[in-house]
Amino acid sequence: MAPQNLIGPAGPLGYPAPFWFIELFKVLGFTLHQVPMHLWYAGIPLVALLGLARGERPRRLRARLITAMPIVIAVGINLGIVPLLFTQVAYYRTFYPAGILMAWPWFAVIILLTLAYYGVYLAAVGVRSGWRPRLGAVAIWIAAVLLVGIGFLFANAFSLMTHVAGWPAIAGRTDAAGAVTGLALNTADPTLLPRWLMLFGLALLTAAAYIGLDTAFLAGRETAGYHAFASRTAAVVGTVGLAIFAVMGWWYIFGRLDRAILDASARVPTVRIFFALAAGLPALTWALLVLQRRGIARTGAVAAALVQFLALGANAIARQWVQNSELAPYLDVTAEPVMMQWSPLVLFLVLFVLGLGIVGWMIAKVVAVNRREAAPG
Amino acid sequence: MHYPWWYVPALTAPLLIAIVAVLHVLVSHYAVGGGLFLAVEVGYAYRTGNRDLLAYLRRHAWFFVLLTVVYGAITGVGIWWTIGLASPLPTELLIHTFVFGWAMEYVFFVIEIAAAFIFYYYWGRLDPHTHQIVGWLYAASAWISLVLITAITGFMLNPGSWIAQGGFWRGFFNPQFVPQVLARTGGALLLASLYVYLHAAVKAPPGLRNLLGARSARPALLGAVLIMAGGVLWYIFLPASAQVALAAASTLNILMLLIFALTAIVFVMLYLGPYRNPGWVTTGFAILFFVLGTAAFTTGEYIREAVRKPYVVYNAVMSNGIYPAEVPRLRAGGYLDGGVWTKAYVAGRYPQLLDPAGRIDRSRFGALPEEDQIRLGRVLFQYHCNACHAVAGYSGIRELARGWTPQMLRDVVEHPERVRFFMPPWAGTPEEAGLLVTYLESIAPPAPPGMRYDGTPEKGR
Repeated sequence: MAPQNLIGPAGPLGYPAPFWFIELFKVLGFTLHQVPMHLWYAGIPLVALLGLARGERPRRLRARLITAMPIVIAVGINLGIVPLLFTQVAYYRTFYPAGILMAWPWFAVIILLTLAYYGVYLAAVGVRSGWRPRLGAVAIWIAAVLLVGIGFLFANAFSLMTHVAGWPAIAGRTDAAGAVTGLALNTADPTLLPRWLMLFGLALLTAAAYIGLDTAFLAGRETAGYHAFASRTAAVVGTVGLAIFAVMGWWYIFGRLDRAILDASARVPTVRIFFALAAGLPALTWALLVLQRRGIARTGAVAAALVQFLALGANAIARQWVQNSELAPYLDVTAEPVMMQWSPLVLFLVLFVLGLGIVGWMIAKVVAVNRREAAPG
Repeated sequence: MHYPWWYVPALTAPLLIAIVAVLHVLVSHYAVGGGLFLAVEVGYAYRTGNRDLLAYLRRHAWFFVLLTVVYGAITGVGIWWTIGLASPLPTELLIHTFVFGWAMEYVFFVIEIAAAFIFYYYWGRLDPHTHQIVGWLYAASAWISLVLITAITGFMLNPGSWIAQGGFWRGFFNPQFVPQVLARTGGALLLASLYVYLHAAVKAPPGLRNLLGARSARPALLGAVLIMAGGVLWYIFLPASAQVALAAASTLNILMLLIFALTAIVFVMLYLGPYRNPGWVTTGFAILFFVLGTAAFTTGEYIREAVRKPYVVYNAVMSNGIYPAEVPRLRAGGYLDGGVWTKAYVAGRYPQLLDPAGRIDRSRFGALPEEDQIRLGRVLFQYHCNACHAVAGYSGIRELARGWTPQMLRDVVEHPERVRFFMPPWAGTPEEAGLLVTYLESIAPPAPPGMRYDGTPEKGR
C-alpha cells in the first residue's frame, strides 16, 4: 500500500475562499484557541498540585485559578471551532482519514472532555461555596489526568494528519475486511512525544503569564504576602515550562523533525524568522517573569503576557509551515480551485466585527462593575 | 470509498451520529428556549419587584449554564466530531458549501457564551436594565444560531435548486428552511417549558411553582402549535421519495403517528395542567411531561434522519458515501478499483488481481479460493452496505437475509433500489455483485425451523 494512494480525490466544490484566507483564519484561530487551551491544559494540573501544598497563599492561588477555569474552558472550546472548521476546509483529504484511523480515541474526546469539564465545575463549586471540597479535590485530579490525556489524543490526531507514511501500517494493523476498527494511535510517529510535551511546556509558560496578569490586575484584595507568593510561583512555573519547552523543542527540531524540512526552513528567510521567534520568545516571557519574581508589576505582567501571546502566534505560524511541508510529498493543499463565496464571506466578516463590538460592550459593563465594587467606600 | 470506513460492530458508525445528535438536541433546544424564558421572566420579575421569582431564576440560570454551556456545547462540537468520522464525504460537502454559515454561527456562539456567563455571574451586580439587555443578547444570539444550523440540516433533506445551480444562499434558503425553523423554534419553546417545570417542581416553593407553571404554559402551547405547523410544512416540502418513505416504511409510519400523538398529548396536558390548573405541576407530573416531550423529540430526530435515505444530502451524496454521478463509472470500472481504500486493500492483499496497468482485473475473481472471494465480498459489504446494515445488530443483514436463496440474494444485491426504493443502487460490476452474494450466502442462516405451510410434519417427528 503506497501511502500517497490512500489520499482521496479533491472534492468537486473547491475552496470557498482563497487558500491564504483559509490559512490565515486557521492560524489566527489556533493562536487564539491556544490561550485558554494552555490555561486549562497546564493550569488544572497546577491547581491539583497546589491542593497538596499547605498554607493560605497556595490555597488562595488555587482558588483564584479554579474559579476562572469553567469560563476558560468554555471560551477555549468555542475558540477551537475556528481552526477546526478551516482545517476541514483545506486539509479534509488527510484530516478525515487520520481521524477515522484513530476513530475510537478521537470519539472518546467528547466523553472525556465532558467528564473533565464537570470535574472542574465540581472543584470550582467546592472552592467557591465549600460544597463537598474533598470530592472537588478528587475531581480536579481526575480532570487534570483527563485533560492531559486529551492533549495527547490531539497531538496524535494532528500529527497523524500529516504522517501519511504511517497510514498503511495502521490500516493493516486495525483492518476489518478493508475497513478499520479505529483502535489506533499515532505512536509510531517519532515526532509525537516531543510535539506533545513541547506544547505542554509552552502551556506552562502561558499559565505562568496568566498568573502574572491575575496577580497584577485582579488580585487587588489579596495580601502583599500573596502577591509575593504568586509572583514567585509564576516564575517557578515559567521556569519549569521553559525547561520542558527547550528540551522537548530541541529533541523535536534536531532529533525528530525530517531533516529535509529543517533544511528547507533554513533556506526561507521568513520561515527562519518565525522559527527563531517561536523558539526565542518563550525565553523572553520566562525572563520577564523571573525578573519580577519578588513582586510582579502591571507593566511587567502585560509585557510577559504580550510576549507569550506573540510566542503562541509564532508557534502557530511555524507549526503551519511544518504541517504543509510534511504534507508536500503527498498533497498540494494550495492546488484546489477557488469558487469564491463573496457575500457569505463579507457577511461573516461584518458579523465578526459586530460580534466583537457586542462582546466588548458586555466586557466594558463588567469592568465598570468590578471597578465600582473595588472603589473604596 | 473516498475515505477509510470505520467499522463499528453491532451499531454501524452512522448510528453513533444519531445517538450523539439526539443527546445534543435535547439540550440545545433548551439552550434556545431557556434563554428566551430567562430573558422574559427576569424582565417580569424586575418589573413587578418579585424578589422570590428573581431568586428562583438565579438558581435556574445556574442549572441552565451548567447544562447548556458544558454538556450542550461539548455535544454540539461532538456532532461535528462524529460526522467527520462516520460520514466524511457528506461532511466534506457540507463544510465546503457552508463554511461561512458555520463561521457566522460561531460568532453567535461567542456572544452566547459571553452573555450566559455575564448574565449569571454578574447577577445582582449589573443594574437591572443592563442585566436584561445581556439576557436578551443571549436569547437573540441563541435563536440566530438555531436558524443558521437549521438551514444546514434542512439543506441535507432537500437542497432544492442548489443541486442544479449551486451557491451558498440557494442552499441556505432551501425548501426545508422555513418549516424546520418553525418546528425547531416551537420545539425550543416547548422543551424549555418542560425543563422549567422539572426544575421548578424540585427547586421552587409551591406559590412560585404555580406562577411559573402558568406563565410558561403560553410559550409552551405556542411551541406545540409551531411544531404542528412546521411539521405539516415539513411534510409538504419533503422530496417525493421521502414522503413515500414515510408511508412505505412501517417503522416510520408508526413513529410519525407516535410523534403527532405525543405532541397532542403534551398539548392537552399543557392546557389542562399548567395553563388551567397550575397547581397540577407536581414533581411526578413534571417528570411525566419531560419524558413525553423528550420522547417526541427523539422520535422526530430519528424520522428526520431516516427519511433522507438513500441519501445523506438529498440527490448529492448517498448514504454509503458515493456521489450519485459516480455510480455509472463504478458499474463500468468496478467498485473495488474505483475506491481509494478498497483499491489499496486489494492491491496489498491480492496483487495477483492487478493487470499490468495496475487496475483490478475482475475476470480473475473466479480464480480465487472461495475463502478469498468471501473476504472480498465482505470488503464490498463494509463499504457499500455497512452505513445502514450491521452484520448482526442494527438492521443486521444476517437476519434480513435469513433463508434467502442465492438467486434472491443476487436480485437484491444487483438491484437494491428496485427492492426498496430507499436503498442506494448497486455501484459495482456483476462480478463484484457475485463476490458480495458469496459473502452473504456464507453468513445468512437458513429459514427458522418449525414453519410449515404444506401440512407436512417437520423431519424427525
